[in-house]
Amino acid sequence: MSTAPDTLATDPRDRGGPAQSLLSINGLVKHFPVKGSGFFGRGGVVRAVDGVSFDIRKGETLGVVGESGCGKSTTARLLMHLIKPDHGEIIFDGEKVGIDLPLSEYRRQVQMVFQDSYASLNPRLTIEDSITFGPRIHGMAETAARAKAHDLLARVGLDPSRFAGRYPHELSGGQRQRVNIARALALDPRLLILDEAVSALDKSVEAQVLNLLQDLKADFGLTYMFISHDLNVVRFMVDRVMVMYLGTVAELGEGEAVFASPSHPYTAALLASMPKMDPSERTIEAPLTGDPPNPINPPSGCRFHPRCKLAEPVCATIQPSLTASAPGTSQAACLALVPQSGHTLAARLSLPVPDIESMLMPEASA
Amino acid sequence: MSNLVSIEGLTVTFTGRGKPVRAVDHVSLEVEKGSVLVLLGESGSGKSVTLRSLLRLHPEKTSKVSGRIIVDGHDIMALSKTGIGDVRGRTVSMIFQEPMLALDPVYTLGQQITETILRHENVTPEQAHARALELFEKVQIPSPERRLNAYPHEMSGGMRQRAMIALALACRPKVLLADEPTTALDATVQIQILLLLRALQRELGLSIVFVTHDIGVAVEIADKIAVMYAGRIVESGSVADILHTPRHPYTQGLLASRVERAKKGDRLKTIPGSPPDLTALPPGCAFAPRCDKTTAACREQVPSLVTGAYDHAVACIHA
Repeated sequence: MSTAPDTLATDPRDRGGPAQSLLSINGLVKHFPVKGSGFFGRGGVVRAVDGVSFDIRKGETLGVVGESGCGKSTTARLLMHLIKPDHGEIIFDGEKVGIDLPLSEYRRQVQMVFQDSYASLNPRLTIEDSITFGPRIHGMAETAARAKAHDLLARVGLDPSRFAGRYPHELSGGQRQRVNIARALALDPRLLILDEAVSALDKSVEAQVLNLLQDLKADFGLTYMFISHDLNVVRFMVDRVMVMYLGTVAELGEGEAVFASPSHPYTAALLASMPKMDPSERTIEAPLTGDPPNPINPPSGCRFHPRCKLAEPVCATIQPSLTASAPGTSQAACLALVPQSGHTLAARLSLPVPDIESMLMPEASA
Repeated sequence: MSNLVSIEGLTVTFTGRGKPVRAVDHVSLEVEKGSVLVLLGESGSGKSVTLRSLLRLHPEKTSKVSGRIIVDGHDIMALSKTGIGDVRGRTVSMIFQEPMLALDPVYTLGQQITETILRHENVTPEQAHARALELFEKVQIPSPERRLNAYPHEMSGGMRQRAMIALALACRPKVLLADEPTTALDATVQIQILLLLRALQRELGLSIVFVTHDIGVAVEIADKIAVMYAGRIVESGSVADILHTPRHPYTQGLLASRVERAKKGDRLKTIPGSPPDLTALPPGCAFAPRCDKTTAACREQVPSLVTGAYDHAVACIHA
């Protein structure tokens, strides 16, 4: 993992020191009721986020990946307090959000950039007004806020003299996303949550914005939570990665380790589903069959077991928790990695880490 | 091999509001029987407009289309209204990015498929139903008999996409047009649909014209790739040639900026600027303002597509 930039050491807002996680999430739960099912019977609930715990370290980029419905965007919205969690606590730099740290103060330090660059800007405000809106709400004088907006526009690569007075519809998608990034930075946040922030951009523009994000992270001493369905972009951007499946964390670890040798069978299948970029090595067999299941009635035990090629009867009864199978490897929630779990593969655990990918696709490797 | 689709000098100009937009500019291409051509490009490159022209889907009032399109012997532009109706679904059919918008929400999938079959063929409703069931099995929909009675909203995204493929194949077309059919899907489902399309293409001897912005997807499905930029084809060739020896600076830039090829923390090589405004294209090569090889000659004349060895064609005076 990358070391925290030097700016952190002198950051007056830093309370707990570099060893203290910037954000600690404990047992986060969010269920949404499903309306209108049944006449007398109660409707079901969507278990969008179901017991998620993780840390974001100071100065790192934490990637979050998973299929649609895995809870990655709900997690982001919970972190932003855009929706209220049912259970769980959010601790920002040692202070409990909403108790020790007032919400307004927390929101100033955590900002978010969304996928749809157009929908997230007010169409009736100029770019400059959009960027100065937050600082002025938080009490900055108008002239200072405008100077700041111009500075930020320049920092994200938009000439303020040309762009400050424009409206969102006068910009291209890439330019609008730069504006959204500038606006997110206007309150000097420490954590930026990027929810599919580059997914809607053309590939040639995506590369420009990724470079910009890397520059800004170094310049402003930022910490990123980078949510994306594009595993290639995540591999390139992140220090650590969290793989989510149906509202739970399937695997969490150093990006390089997870991408080189995934511990969880789901991570392995997800990686194997990516297009190969080599016409002579095209995918022969789909690593997973069927669509991601519905989070309304998630499977019992390990939620991945109905689609997992390593599944055994025990997987339907016990829900695995995150464990590291060996020091230095990532943490994965899989019974095959827990000694004495009752899974036959777990019996061989003193041996080297099993080659999950070859077990996943016995036909393909045969 | 014979060409099932041949397009010559296709130009499409939209004249709806404001300045006319030339979305496709003198595009010529050919698709061999039983092969997959991918049109690769960013938004506004004209890839979808080219695709839609093959079925004459552009509104006549607000678009001007010139050039020649021959599909399996039919002159698409010269056909009468009933004539084009016979071609649609029968000879050429299409699948879209968003099946929820392409399927009719108030009819079951079975009804939609049998309707199509009955429109084109002289069969009984029972025979049409049997064919629909067979199609659902072919696109690997589990419990097909039950799913034929389902409405589109009752199915997941991947299943809807399979159902739309079944609908498109209902009258055994020779050409399948695919407009970003996997873009809205999760990676795990996307690869399933790509493998399905590849299997169907082999089994039925289909020709496919597949539009995408994603090089990774193109590599998984294409035999040939045509790269489009600002309404023109700038490079075309076999997948391997495009991927390993790209000759147009735009294709080179696109491949160089891929994150797959970068190490974590590297600076990505980028193409400066953004895709051009189609209402105000520069007089010469449309890529010239973003290109690092630009000379005065580039700004004077639109470079023509020159075919070299192995049918690898490129429209750049410096290539």
